[in-house]
Amino acid sequence: MTATNEIKIRARRLFFAYGESRVLNDLHVDIHSHTITAVVGASGKGKSTLLTLFNRLWEDIPDARMQGSVHIRLEGTDRDIYHPSCSLPDLRRKVGMVFQTPNPLPMSIYKNVAFPLKMAGISNKARIGDAVETALKQAFLWDEVKDRLREDARRLSGGQQQRLCIARALVVEPEVLLLDEPTSSLDATATETIEKLILSLKETCTIVVVSHDMAQVERMADRWLELSEGRIVNDWPDNQWIDSV
Amino acid sequence: MKARCCDKLVTAWAWLSGLVLTASVATLLGFLLTKGAGTLSPALFFGDTVPLDALLLKRQVFEGIFPATVGTLLLVGLAVGMAVPVGIATGIYMAEFAAPRTKAVFGLFFDILAGIPSILVGLFGFSAAIFLHHHFSGQITPCLLISALSLAFLVLPYLIRTTQTTLENLPRHVRMTAPALGASKLQTIFYVLLPQSLSGIVSGIILSIGRCAEDTAVIMLTGVVATAGIPASLLSGYEALPFYIYTVSAQYADQAELMRGYGAAIVLLAVCALLFALTAFIRHRLADHLLYGAR
Repeated sequence: MTATNEIKIRARRLFFAYGESRVLNDLHVDIHSHTITAVVGASGKGKSTLLTLFNRLWEDIPDARMQGSVHIRLEGTDRDIYHPSCSLPDLRRKVGMVFQTPNPLPMSIYKNVAFPLKMAGISNKARIGDAVETALKQAFLWDEVKDRLREDARRLSGGQQQRLCIARALVVEPEVLLLDEPTSSLDATATETIEKLILSLKETCTIVVVSHDMAQVERMADRWLELSEGRIVNDWPDNQWIDSV
Repeated sequence: MKARCCDKLVTAWAWLSGLVLTASVATLLGFLLTKGAGTLSPALFFGDTVPLDALLLKRQVFEGIFPATVGTLLLVGLAVGMAVPVGIATGIYMAEFAAPRTKAVFGLFFDILAGIPSILVGLFGFSAAIFLHHHFSGQITPCLLISALSLAFLVLPYLIRTTQTTLENLPRHVRMTAPALGASKLQTIFYVLLPQSLSGIVSGIILSIGRCAEDTAVIMLTGVVATAGIPASLLSGYEALPFYIYTVSAQYADQAELMRGYGAAIVLLAVCALLFALTAFIRHRLADHLLYGAR
């Protein structure tokens, strides 16, 4: 599969604030299926916040407030993710997220990757084993860790830890993957591997990535959005200088 | 120059304080050991009763501290056993579920509870026993169960506060990890937050064990007796090491009896050390099981 015209995420009239400080101000955006969309802009302009609006992770932050609507096409149907009937755990399995700093849980490599399956109530060991292996292979990590699956995941290198976190998000077969500056804490070689990995995931997922590194954005992204003053001020390469939809 | 001088002064002060503290503990232990080590023998525990008969509860021990040791172990086990589930659950509620106002009000009450002198908790337990005796069953008198309940109340605030603060101090990225992977709130608490807070919670439990093992004021009013033997049930009187040490040092008849008091103090320390070690062992096994368990 390649980029299609199908809209995966449709966000309208997004307003967001932490306490008194307003972060997003009437933001509109459409993100297409099987594309890599990069969100760029200066620090503290709400790039990471925008990602957490797509999996409702912001709701765990005290003092945060949001208005607007986000629809995501999941399992072939359009879902209003802020509708009361939308199950949070299900949403977050379908819309995976990887953070800036690798955050393996203090447990073995295997248990880390199996964790989301366990949370989903899957207990069939053979099925878990297969899914863990597939996810680690997808994340280009299997060959490096297949003989040490029971080791503490925190003993892996930074780059390996980040690939582990990506594998952990992939194990429940998400349709959307949100990456919050996934390479900012890594060296050049590790960054290159992760970039290749992200490109390879485009076939199975729709990817939204926050990045500070413009060279990286140009290497990876199909489209990039610049955030400023709580809105999208630039949208390359299609509609330049849009204010809002 | 002034700043450097200040730095050195603070460092010296810190060193000195640490040294004084360590030296005090060492002196205390040394004093107890030199005084009491001579009395450590089966006779200290069992008097003139045959040890095997005493251990199998065939004959009551009158002259030894065996019943007091068993009493203390039972008391600590019961009190901590009752307080831990309630304390941890309340700590979780405070850290993860309580609204800010509720949290402030409850927090104030827990702090007041932590500041109540133990003799008052003892009086409360005593009054409760009298009340129950009059209104429910004539069989209820000050006893092991009442003592354990009172002690549980005494240590609850430590358990609640340590659990709460450890959970609240977990960094945000740790809190976000599991929800981002589709874990529900309860799953996040049980699979990630609690295992990561284990050492904080365990230090609260250790503090509680120490408090229950040493407390004399509460148990004096709620059921400890000088010679009760091994308690037959939760509703019987019992003996306890701190109370034994207290009575011996207050009214010893001869030097040998006083020495037995020192012996009992060493045994009390050893009982505490044993319980701490057991707690640490359980913590270790639990952490292994929760975090690194089989594939």
